[in-house]
Amino acid sequence: MRRLHPFTLLALAVALPALAWILPAPWGAAGTLTLAAALLLTPGASPGITTAKTAALSAAPFWFFLYLLHGVGGMVPTGLRLSTMIASFVWLVAILPPARLVEAMVAAGWPVSVAFLFSATLQAVPALHERAQRLVDAQRCRGLATRGGPLVRLRALRALALPLVLSALHEVDERALALETRGLVAGARRTPLAPPADHRAEQALRWLLALSCAALFVWRIA
Amino acid sequence: MSVRLLALIPVAVAINLALSATVDAVGLPLFLDTTGTILTTALAGPVVGILTGALTSAVNSLRNPTFWPFVAIQIIVALYAWLAASRGWFRSLRTAVPAGLLLGVIASVTSTPISYFVFGCSTTGGIALTTKLGQLLGLSNLGACFFGSFLSDFGDKAVTFALVTTILHALPRRTAARFPLALRAIGRAAASP
Repeated sequence: MRRLHPFTLLALAVALPALAWILPAPWGAAGTLTLAAALLLTPGASPGITTAKTAALSAAPFWFFLYLLHGVGGMVPTGLRLSTMIASFVWLVAILPPARLVEAMVAAGWPVSVAFLFSATLQAVPALHERAQRLVDAQRCRGLATRGGPLVRLRALRALALPLVLSALHEVDERALALETRGLVAGARRTPLAPPADHRAEQALRWLLALSCAALFVWRIA
Repeated sequence: MSVRLLALIPVAVAINLALSATVDAVGLPLFLDTTGTILTTALAGPVVGILTGALTSAVNSLRNPTFWPFVAIQIIVALYAWLAASRGWFRSLRTAVPAGLLLGVIASVTSTPISYFVFGCSTTGGIALTTKLGQLLGLSNLGACFFGSFLSDFGDKAVTFALVTTILHALPRRTAARFPLALRAIGRAAASP
């Protein structure tokens, strides 16, 4: 399963939630959730039981709130659909490293700028999150009160957010210079180091998934 | 698209997602997850803002897939921010806060159908509980869902607009000069065509 082309894994993860909403509830969504759970639990197809636990823990609050708002009758169809979506994406994230997806995008002829946006964002988010945490600690050390009335908290928010955003914007020039140095200009092409193999059978499977979703959607609304 | 704008987008997405740490620290019921989208729109126009919003939803979906259906809201926010920047609503907090409140109404109106039909209004704990409060007040399910979305979006977007205005005014002159639209957004100078 891990050897499948990234676009095939992506197609599976998108098709299952789409089918969960297209097919009649609750049995359609129960079927798609079963398939998603099978992907999560199949030996060799998924990183293991931890991923399944992550999916279950992510889905649990939705079931609780749906029960609170709609009772058992309203909880089951929406809960099954949301659980399919969560299980599919948790499986995808666990099985597909972003770097492999970027390689596949470049190999498929996508502009290198698109691939850059995706990979640079994935790197920037944890780095800035860590800096935000450091800023919170530093400002607290300097005596910033983060608790109290709404105005105190809003003032604290300003003192925390402003340096974070300004420092991030300050880096834009450095990043731009680094990109220009590496020749990332409009229309630039890159040769992927290890392009994932894209077999005809997998391409056919992706088309089959897309056409099935479209046909079932038309059948449902007709 | 210039290399500078290409470098700006990942940073703006990271701003959208990293501000949750500061919100957690102060314990306010806010998201601030459109700050980067609004800021980049004011700095560099709607295309960059829309790309930032779409990429935010895509990356956030890798952590929590329930964010993806709300990509339309990020795009609406970017378009509204462009209107606000064009009209100079980031000139001061007096103009920015009402503009943010209006965006809160627009965002809650547009997010309610997604929240209701896709999630049954169970998107977050806060929204689910305020929706329950709306039900207890006698509102219909859809009305209660709007009530929940409105309470969460109204203040959030006003604070986000105020924060973006503060950031735009605090930008060092050298940085602001590299984004001519930023000067127009805060009413200091007209952007060159």
